[in-house]
Amino acid sequence: MDVSGILQEHKDRFQSVQVDKLVPVDFDLGHLSSFDINLLDPGKLKAGQKTRDAYLKSISRDGAQMMINELFSLPTVVDDDSVYAQLPKPQTTLPREKPLPKEKVETRWEKFAKIKGIQTRKHSRLVFDEESGEYKPRFGYKSAKNDEQNQWAIPVADNADPYEDQYAKLRKEKKERVAKNNRRKQRNLEEAMATERGLKPQEMRKSQLQRALVMSKGSTASLGKFDTKLTGEPKIKGIKRKFEPLVGSADKEKSKNMDILNRVNKGEAKANLLNVRKAQRVLGTNKQVQAEMNSKGKKQPKRSRK
Amino acid sequence: MRPLTDDETKVLFEKLTKYIGRNIVHLIDRPDEPYCFRLQKDRVYYVSETIMRKATSVGRHNLISLGTCFGKFTKTGKFRMHITALPLLAQYAKYKVWVKPNGEMPFLYGNHIVKAHIGRVTEDTPEHQGVVIFNMADVPLGFGVSARSTVDMRKVDPTGIVVFHQSDNGEYLREEDALF
Repeated sequence: MDVSGILQEHKDRFQSVQVDKLVPVDFDLGHLSSFDINLLDPGKLKAGQKTRDAYLKSISRDGAQMMINELFSLPTVVDDDSVYAQLPKPQTTLPREKPLPKEKVETRWEKFAKIKGIQTRKHSRLVFDEESGEYKPRFGYKSAKNDEQNQWAIPVADNADPYEDQYAKLRKEKKERVAKNNRRKQRNLEEAMATERGLKPQEMRKSQLQRALVMSKGSTASLGKFDTKLTGEPKIKGIKRKFEPLVGSADKEKSKNMDILNRVNKGEAKANLLNVRKAQRVLGTNKQVQAEMNSKGKKQPKRSRK
Repeated sequence: MRPLTDDETKVLFEKLTKYIGRNIVHLIDRPDEPYCFRLQKDRVYYVSETIMRKATSVGRHNLISLGTCFGKFTKTGKFRMHITALPLLAQYAKYKVWVKPNGEMPFLYGNHIVKAHIGRVTEDTPEHQGVVIFNMADVPLGFGVSARSTVDMRKVDPTGIVVFHQSDNGEYLREEDALF
């Protein structure tokens, strides 16, 4: 069977896979991009839209064809049911997408550990628990130390109070430890924030407290004007407002007032673009107009007072 | 005494626009002599320039009032209009309500106006619009806010409220201490 004729016919239907360009095209297959610096034909670009579109389309087709030719020349990897081309490492370096991350501030413990040279030891998550004979997490859910069944007896010193509830005491101590850790975490956050801004943590806390004090002073019915002041309380400095001179030129004042009035009117005009009632009255009781307005879905709010 | 800041003027004009609309121009731009707004102790006074200049010679604690008091600014910066502004409002009012003789006294005692007491209303008064209330002899009695538009007013029953009371002439007696 001579199939070469059919193959040739099939091949002739499409354009040639070979593409020749004057200036060789650069490829960065790692980024799946090609850089074609061949000059475009100005005559074809300036001719009518059809020729221009056809020309640009042919250029794009050539570029895509060259890229695919290159991709097919790469080493391949055969997976379960597909063949992959292994792209090389990208050559062009792209700029950073996001800004550089800020340097993390060291916490109190990290500073101490650095000075003393303490290294953290990596612990495994699971620990062998002898009593149950299996591996349990070191802490948290289903850990040996959190298991309530484990604490069937608590050794207590001789001089301990017999009426004290030891279980409650243990729970209380745990709560205290958790609260202490949270406090320390909060303190670390505040210190980090303070050092970021360049203040000392105590100064930042002091200014925050002062601001809160000032705000609370004005939270009375008379905005803090008539409250009795404590001895030694500093006077709160407000922003000094500047007023126009009392007796100025009448014309300037008039023009300023007109400006403000225009601004107010513009705001009003925007709000009242259509006086619906007036429009209804002007258009009259024309049934057709009424039907039209009702069909547009305009809802007239019906309120009845009781 | 001091002139109003831009923000205060804006608040004042917005309030006035609700009652007299674009006629504020007549307040600012008068043909006879220039008038101005001045603030003394949170109260807004509308006074002619010549009188204002003379008033500068009165001390701050001695100056009680000058010109026409329009109202006062509250602590939070809102403007509250007083009955003393009525003569000017009545002159330039856009939307008016006339009240029958039997409805005058309830309004002057501070009650809202019911439909039974309405004599006349200007056409196409929108809802929640500032209105000035007159009696049948065209004497201004006070001002308020329309509870319903003119069209809806026709549908409401006679004991329904059509105008909310804001200020009336009776306040000259009731709030004698607070007016000036």
